[in-house]
Amino acid sequence: MRTQRGDIAARIAVALLLTGCQREARDIGPSLPQTGPNRAHDPRIVYYQDNVYQVAQGGRYFGWYGCTACHGEDASGVRDLGDGRWRYGGSFDQIFASVAERHGGLNYAARVPPEQLWQMAAYVRDLPQHTPEKRRRLSVDQVGEPQGRNWSGPVR
Amino acid sequence: MRARLPIVCLLLSGCTGVQSALDPGGDQASALFSLFALMMWVCGFVYAVVAAGLIWALWRAWRRSGTDARGDGSATHGTDGRLARLLPLAAGAIVIGLAALITASFFADRALFATRAQPALEVRVTGHQWWWRVQYRGPASGGWIETANEIHLPQGQTVRLVLGAADVIHSFWVPNVAGKLDMIPGRINVLDATARQPGWFRGQCAEFCGLQHAHMALAVKVESPAAFRAWLARQAAPAAAASGRGAAVFATACAACHAIRGTIAGGRAGPDLTHVATRRTIAAGTLTMTRGNLQGWIAQPQAIKPGTSMPAIPLDPADADAVASYLMAMR
Repeated sequence: MRTQRGDIAARIAVALLLTGCQREARDIGPSLPQTGPNRAHDPRIVYYQDNVYQVAQGGRYFGWYGCTACHGEDASGVRDLGDGRWRYGGSFDQIFASVAERHGGLNYAARVPPEQLWQMAAYVRDLPQHTPEKRRRLSVDQVGEPQGRNWSGPVR
Repeated sequence: MRARLPIVCLLLSGCTGVQSALDPGGDQASALFSLFALMMWVCGFVYAVVAAGLIWALWRAWRRSGTDARGDGSATHGTDGRLARLLPLAAGAIVIGLAALITASFFADRALFATRAQPALEVRVTGHQWWWRVQYRGPASGGWIETANEIHLPQGQTVRLVLGAADVIHSFWVPNVAGKLDMIPGRINVLDATARQPGWFRGQCAEFCGLQHAHMALAVKVESPAAFRAWLARQAAPAAAASGRGAAVFATACAACHAIRGTIAGGRAGPDLTHVATRRTIAAGTLTMTRGNLQGWIAQPQAIKPGTSMPAIPLDPADADAVASYLMAMR
């Protein structure tokens, strides 16, 4: 009886662990979004927002496209993306539109391909849930990566 | 016997080539190969002695089982005087053999990672997922100039390779010349390499670094110091001035990540494309450098190297064509 109960507990534990794998699932290959989200209920939103890999990729591009210059850890006011207050709305499609179209001459809609905008919108929308410690760890992790036109590299 | 000869030749042909530690073309690779050869001969000799001893023991046992049948049991009991005399000899040989191998590997290791006081040249190589950022000092300006996925080494000169990583652990390995040595984020590793054999060699990332680890190759050209200086001077020059549709599309769609010296394109996330058409490969050894491959790579990088950080950029065909022409002129 006892072993049977232990067996069931082990199965439940394995099942719980395996559900975590789906959060990292990577669909790679050429089938990528070519358009932005169609209002707040686009079925693609769930895929990007709930996938840890896509959110993390968004974080890398966030640095590469130079977003950290204004929206880094120590940004304040409207530039602080971690405070949970959204000037132009906090739904996925609104954040996507803010990134793509509300940066004036930087014109990210033309300069950044759609899939990267999806990933960055997912990352930005995820930021209010990041603790300062997590934010700090991310920026330490990415210290060797390029930031826009700057790359100091690992050699100092 | 004659039938086996082609098979042996075929097997041995695997030992040569552009990516083989058994075909050394530099001082460090030669030191490693000498150690390999010593280990192989010593271990081969030990193997032969052990196998011979085993056969001898079996043969003795088989011969004695014959004498036992005749009723003479004394041979299977007691101490064998000859074996007792051989025992210290065998133990001594083991100690001497191991000591020789340990000493040899110590000196080979010293030779591999010895840094020279005055290297002729310093080259910075940084591992990215999944390409190599390569930096040389410009001969005229003295500032760092960038290229990617290809290093040139002057024959017979010691070059200091300064190895780092931007994201995850990679490993620098050009088996014919030098390496391997890990490239670790937040850390600098230094490797001095002296290439002797001219020609093209192939390096490969030797530490699993993600989806496209296998497509992270490095083209290595060893050439005469004069040819090397000419190559470096050409790489250091800014791109030739160009205007037209290709340059305009590049400045909008590609410049956020790629730099071309001499133009407004200054992104650092991807490889510097100033002299991209002079390189041997595209996307770290994934494709050879041809006009068709380049255009295919621009059109669908995710189909060619799934997971690469190079995004598929929605360009209309005429624009993609113009960008490919523009880049093929970057010589």
